[in-house]
Amino acid sequence: MPLLNDKQKLMRKIQQASFALVEANLYLDSHPTCPYGLKYYAQHKKEHEQLMDEYAEKYGPIRAEQSSTEEKWGWVTTPFPWERGES
Amino acid sequence: MWQYEKKLQYPVNIKNPNPALAKVIVSQLGGPDGELGAALRYLNQRYSAPCREVQAVLSDIGTEELSHMEMIGTILYQLTRNLSMKEIKESGFDVYFVDHTTGVYPIAASGVPFTAATFQSTGDAIADLNEDLAAEQKARVTYDNILRLADDPDVRDPIKFLRAREIVHFQRFGEAQRMVQEMLDSKNFYAFNPSFDK
Repeated sequence: MPLLNDKQKLMRKIQQASFALVEANLYLDSHPTCPYGLKYYAQHKKEHEQLMDEYAEKYGPIRAEQSSTEEKWGWVTTPFPWERGES
Repeated sequence: MWQYEKKLQYPVNIKNPNPALAKVIVSQLGGPDGELGAALRYLNQRYSAPCREVQAVLSDIGTEELSHMEMIGTILYQLTRNLSMKEIKESGFDVYFVDHTTGVYPIAASGVPFTAATFQSTGDAIADLNEDLAAEQKARVTYDNILRLADDPDVRDPIKFLRAREIVHFQRFGEAQRMVQEMLDSKNFYAFNPSFDK
């Protein structure tokens, strides 16, 4: 495992939280009344939202709507994720 | 509709270019059991799914396949950075290079361009979901074969993640299939034409 900088560490946390949501989403599609699944989704949703806000504030937008609109459109100021070191 | 997120579902950071490996991994972009075909299969089949649960499974797995297509595109992009002409010729990547340089283009490893002829949308939920179960297994086999061909841990790690997703999707499609079968009445006990001949 290579050494990760702070930005990469935060991205990994977002990927983990986001993966928990994707996985729970698929599970809930076929088990829509499972109380454990519903609770799991709600817990991770909160964590995911907080991490997304933190990342956008520190390192730039993950969704276009998080982009800065002061002087320059923030969406085009940060790299896309296919570049090495950006995921 | 869809909204893009500037992130990969799972990290891809490949140190060493390897055009020979890109030549086989491209099959999971544009090959018969690749991610593009998977996304298009599920996202087109979902309109004729008979209940919201199955519509959701097809929409959400189809959407995840788009993020897998992006991971495969990223693997191909990183495996073909900074190549010399010598590397291109000796690796056998020249046959791809001549048409696409190092651009990412959906073809099978055999060179056949992506085609919708590798999947179906029959309008029949039982037929479609049985195809989807098979599709996940076939994609899993392709990832098993890529793992047999790839030594680089930077490549193997995201490929193992993608392989595991095929298994989870197979599970969810199995539940969707069971749900549709439970909706059938006694006349359809053997699962004939549940979507059309009502």
